[in-house]
Amino acid sequence: MTTDLIFSINTGSSEPIYRQLIEQVRRRIAAGQLSAGQEIPSVRELAQTLAVHPMTVSKAYSLLEAQGLLERRRGLSMVVAAQHTHAEPSASRVELLRPTLEKAASESRQLELTSTQALKLFQQILNEGEKP
Amino acid sequence: MTATPPASVANAHVAARPTANMRGLNLAYGKKPVLKGLDWQLHPGQVIGLLGRNGAGKTTLLEAMLGLRDLHGGTVELFGESGPQLSDATRARIGYVPQRSDLFEGFTANELLAYFRSFYPHWNTAKVDGLLSRWDIARDQPIARLSGGQQQRLSIIRALAHEPDLLVLDEPVSSLDPAGRREFLRELVDQVLDRGTTVVLSTHILSDLERVAFNVAFLRDGQIAVQAPLDQLLDTTRQVTGTREQVDALCARLHAQVLQRRALSGNQELALLTLPPGPAAEDDGLPLQAVNLEELFMELA
Repeated sequence: MTTDLIFSINTGSSEPIYRQLIEQVRRRIAAGQLSAGQEIPSVRELAQTLAVHPMTVSKAYSLLEAQGLLERRRGLSMVVAAQHTHAEPSASRVELLRPTLEKAASESRQLELTSTQALKLFQQILNEGEKP
Repeated sequence: MTATPPASVANAHVAARPTANMRGLNLAYGKKPVLKGLDWQLHPGQVIGLLGRNGAGKTTLLEAMLGLRDLHGGTVELFGESGPQLSDATRARIGYVPQRSDLFEGFTANELLAYFRSFYPHWNTAKVDGLLSRWDIARDQPIARLSGGQQQRLSIIRALAHEPDLLVLDEPVSSLDPAGRREFLRELVDQVLDRGTTVVLSTHILSDLERVAFNVAFLRDGQIAVQAPLDQLLDTTRQVTGTREQVDALCARLHAQVLQRRALSGNQELALLTLPPGPAAEDDGLPLQAVNLEELFMELA
């Protein structure tokens, strides 16, 4: 998988770039797209590809290491930590969506939408993503 | 030279002598004060985005830092040397891309670069050639016939050619398309990776700034109103609307500080709060809203 496919960043977000990177790695590992021992791009490589400050990347990697998702191999390369051999069951993967959906739910209440309206939109967005 | 204790990696850049140290800068145009006792430090290896509204004095500040403006008060030190008259050795450590192109328009790119090369003890010919080719700049045409974007790229190449330790960029990419801007940002990242260059970048293109500027500084009312790592500002700043009493009570509950407040209609105000470090606080009373860089700019610049 190329660097571009693993990582993308949204500018203009209230979520700092280092946290966007952390969440992307977390989701890829949970889905089994990244698994134990797989090497991830070096700080230099990712900073150059995304045109972001190298400290932003190293901050994300250090926090991912602290959370047990990545391990530092001898030398400098980081790999996915040994215990992440399989995709997590979907029941625990879906929990990763909770913070985003809680935020959407709160905004939906502020907009005084019914759950049917909000769910219909979510369904529609999910369907759009499935189109080739 | 005296031995210094090893600094931890985390605060190494703070422990080292600042690349630029400005104290109490005062400058006025006629009766209109622009810089009002401004203090500002740039530390080695930092990439700092300088933000401010039009007319806030960003260009004036950058020019004052480089000794290109007469100050009415205050001191500037670059690499430990006091301005405004800098030695050639210190000048050679600075690269500057001014807002307005100052290239000699009758020269060709080759002539211009050969001319500047004579001033510097150090010149990276391979980098210059590589960038001229990659950025598709005609070497033998008069600069006046290059497009605005190509002139801007040439100005950037000139500033990078002597491998400066401090790079001052004043709206360097206003004429570049998104692809050109991305290439420029990659070049900046390379400078930071390879040389630990200190960079000050002034631009209104916030998406560019967000990528490369680990630190942001807001110039307002003639002073640096806020300077912090952007990550930290986004992590700890929340926006809230309510009466002054509600906002104050909220701050007391969350141990938060008011960063900025602005009166709205009625007795409402919009406040930016700085939360204490740690997991982001929630409050049942007033909804706390995360902010992005543009919203920070609207309130702090």
